[in-house]
Amino acid sequence: MSSATLEINGISRRFGDVVALNKLEIKIEPGELVALLGPSGCGKTTALRIVAGLESTDSGSVLLRGADITKVSANHRNMGMVFQAYSLFPNLNAQENVAFGLQMRKVAKGNRLAKAGELLELVGLNTQSKRFPHQLSGGQQQRVALARALAVEPDVLLLDEPLSALDAQVRANLREEIRRLQLSLGTTTLFVTHDQEEAMSISDRVGVMNHGRLEQIASPDTLYNKPATTFVASFVGLMNRLPGILTNGKVEVLGQNLSTLSSDLANGQVKALVRPERINVTQDQSTPNARVITRSFLGASSRIICEMHDGTIVQSLMTSHGSGMLNPGETVKLEIADLEVLIAHE
Amino acid sequence: MKIRGILLPSTLLAAIIFITLPFGSATEFSFRDGGKTKHSLAAYRWILAQEDFLHYLGVSLRLALGAVFITLLIMVPTVAWLHLRAQKYRPLMEFLTLLPLVVPVVALSIGAQSALPEALQSNEYELSFMYVILAMPYTYRALDIGMSAIPLKTITEAARGLGASWIKAITFVIAPVIRNAVVASLFLTLALSLGEFTLTSLLHWDTFPTWVTSVSQQNIIGAIALSVFSLAAAFLFLFAIGLLTMRSKSDLPEGQE
Amino acid sequence: MTSTTQDRVVIKGAPLRGTLDRQNLGVLVPLLPIVLFLGFFFFFPMAVVFVDSFKSNEGNWSMINIVTIFHDPYRMAFINSIKLGLVSAITASIPGALFAYVIETKGSQSLRRIVSSLSGVLANTGGVPLAFMFVAAFGAEGSAVMILKKLGWDLYAGNFSLFSFTGIVVVYLYFQIPLMIIVFSPAIHGIRKEWRDASQNLGATPLQFWRFIGLPLLLPSFAASFLLLFASAFAAYATARAMTVGNIALVPLQIGNLVDGNVSINQANAGKALAVGMVVISAIAMIPYLIIQRRARRWQT
Repeated sequence: MSSATLEINGISRRFGDVVALNKLEIKIEPGELVALLGPSGCGKTTALRIVAGLESTDSGSVLLRGADITKVSANHRNMGMVFQAYSLFPNLNAQENVAFGLQMRKVAKGNRLAKAGELLELVGLNTQSKRFPHQLSGGQQQRVALARALAVEPDVLLLDEPLSALDAQVRANLREEIRRLQLSLGTTTLFVTHDQEEAMSISDRVGVMNHGRLEQIASPDTLYNKPATTFVASFVGLMNRLPGILTNGKVEVLGQNLSTLSSDLANGQVKALVRPERINVTQDQSTPNARVITRSFLGASSRIICEMHDGTIVQSLMTSHGSGMLNPGETVKLEIADLEVLIAHE
Repeated sequence: MKIRGILLPSTLLAAIIFITLPFGSATEFSFRDGGKTKHSLAAYRWILAQEDFLHYLGVSLRLALGAVFITLLIMVPTVAWLHLRAQKYRPLMEFLTLLPLVVPVVALSIGAQSALPEALQSNEYELSFMYVILAMPYTYRALDIGMSAIPLKTITEAARGLGASWIKAITFVIAPVIRNAVVASLFLTLALSLGEFTLTSLLHWDTFPTWVTSVSQQNIIGAIALSVFSLAAAFLFLFAIGLLTMRSKSDLPEGQE
Repeated sequence: MTSTTQDRVVIKGAPLRGTLDRQNLGVLVPLLPIVLFLGFFFFFPMAVVFVDSFKSNEGNWSMINIVTIFHDPYRMAFINSIKLGLVSAITASIPGALFAYVIETKGSQSLRRIVSSLSGVLANTGGVPLAFMFVAAFGAEGSAVMILKKLGWDLYAGNFSLFSFTGIVVVYLYFQIPLMIIVFSPAIHGIRKEWRDASQNLGATPLQFWRFIGLPLLLPSFAASFLLLFASAFAAYATARAMTVGNIALVPLQIGNLVDGNVSINQANAGKALAVGMVVISAIAMIPYLIIQRRARRWQT
């Protein structure tokens, strides 16, 4: 199957006074799945629509296999797109929907229906091929939409929040299925979502966007463990914001003196960003600095919510085994397991 | 691209001409004073001098209020009940209430004339009942859509669960949430009743609209002036309803991010 | 009129039959008022019309009145009324649909609202006042006629008459076009942006989108709207009465004449036979209209 490189070269777009995209720069390798993650209004959907040719760009270019396709109209781009919801043509049945792209490519009726049947089988809907969209559940509709997008053997698969309108259970299943199909077909894929779990679980790389800018693009692990900016740090996963004092590149938090990852801040009061699983709660009574509020048993791990003396609420994630003796009301000592922390303004 | 830019304005211009041509002409005509060029308020002065003007206005208003009262008494409780306890009969009721739309008013008039008992046919409020029938396809739908938009059953059960009696549930819970739908349906009834001509004239009653027709035989300018007056009134009235019912619908945002 | 009490029972009972068990009774009792109301003021009169149309004017069972309506002048009236319905539906549905399309696709939210309210008003402004307004505009001394005359076009130089078939069609446009806008706009509004985007993404040109998706989706609604406009013009009475001077035979007007007793008394039941004929034709148009509209609502969400 086709595998192509997709390059987004410094595209910008504004709608009136609103800057939707600001010099977006992404290169997607053949067969790679890249997710664009960000809060609503961050410009991720605009970026996707520009790649699809459904939206124009003010500046910059889109390259496919190194060729500039910025001026190519959407119906000549050979990209398969899956929309949020309700994108199936209501007057066509599932099979005819899937065959539509092939029909536009002048494939003979018998061939295109056969191919559509194969794709419906691939998404597990071969028995529903004669049903109309309104006779299918939301999850089934999105499977048909996926089959329809893949039927044209697209150079790039574009997914525009395809799971956001579905139930949690269906969403998780379909997410895995998209990844399975994408890997087996080797289709270069751009996936837009506001759900970080969705993005992190199936992508090769995730680009975090905010206000039309790409904050960081990296593998899910790097994004989580080495966030480049405070926005990425707080948008991806949970972060405690602990009060600290910055002095010449070193920050003092919870009585510990730690290095900082970004130090363009002036000396003084700052917040140190620490993941819950990097905070240990101990019963060391020599220098207690907090009090346990609740402990929630989650299975292998437990969540412990503590309150520091100054009122700051701190969340810790520990093994259930190692935190069994912590009871609400107890005075405890919080420790940071990292040697380096990210800091932010007050 | 150029054609697209002028499409909307030119369409709107055509619509404005379409609407204002007869309206404007009638207004101009109603100010004519006998001759073709002199203008005055003579026609309007003539109308005000007619005793019948206020009389028939009164008759129409009285019958329309009668229809509103019947709608309030029969339609509103029925639709509320369908939503609260008799959901499975909603399709049947929707079908039955739509039928008056299928039967031409002329045909219904002849039926009413030959079937309704003499005692009723000699009472002008016969018309109020018939107006409710004519308005039913619209009032039923207005009420049905209005009540579908809110989980009437759930909130009523919640109120009952919190200890409210049926009377309190109706006064403090049901009535306030269905108010917009009820007001819309009552206005629809009122508007239809005030303008009804066919059934009224075929049942040999005289109301404001039939009086306007009879005026035309002796004073065409007067009849046109009356038409201008009644259409302007209907216009303001129905436009107000239109905006009122529009606002009660929730506006879901359409765009994506 | 001896059979009327019996008719009443049958008609009222019909929708409830077979569902009356004890559990249902409590639920059904509050529905009784509206069923009785509809039964007495609507189904009962219509049943009487239906039954009487199969009786001679002396009250015996007879097909004479049914036969009568298939002969002139009634036959001609039916032809004229159907023709009026069709011509009015054609002349109003096309501009109405195009207007609705422009407003729905190019207009802002607030413009769409104003058009919708305004159409609601105009669609209901039929009747006598409307006819009088056209007399004021296009009558022999009408304002529009005088303005056109000054511009050098004497409308009445030929054999133009407002009180003609053409005149009626033109006046009907005034409430038919707004009616079209009201019933057809939801269908256009229901064409989702996602479908255009998806079709384009799959390689379709705008023309192909309309051919394979847009028109097939709009066609049922258009057909339904057309039927409604037909039924509306076919059954209209008030405007037609004010617009004709006895020169054009139309079914509603003939029924009106029979009811008014302008025609000899031995035709009392002919009016009812005509009414049944009207109901049949109207039902042929309205029932498909209601069914299609209902089905189309599936994707118009």
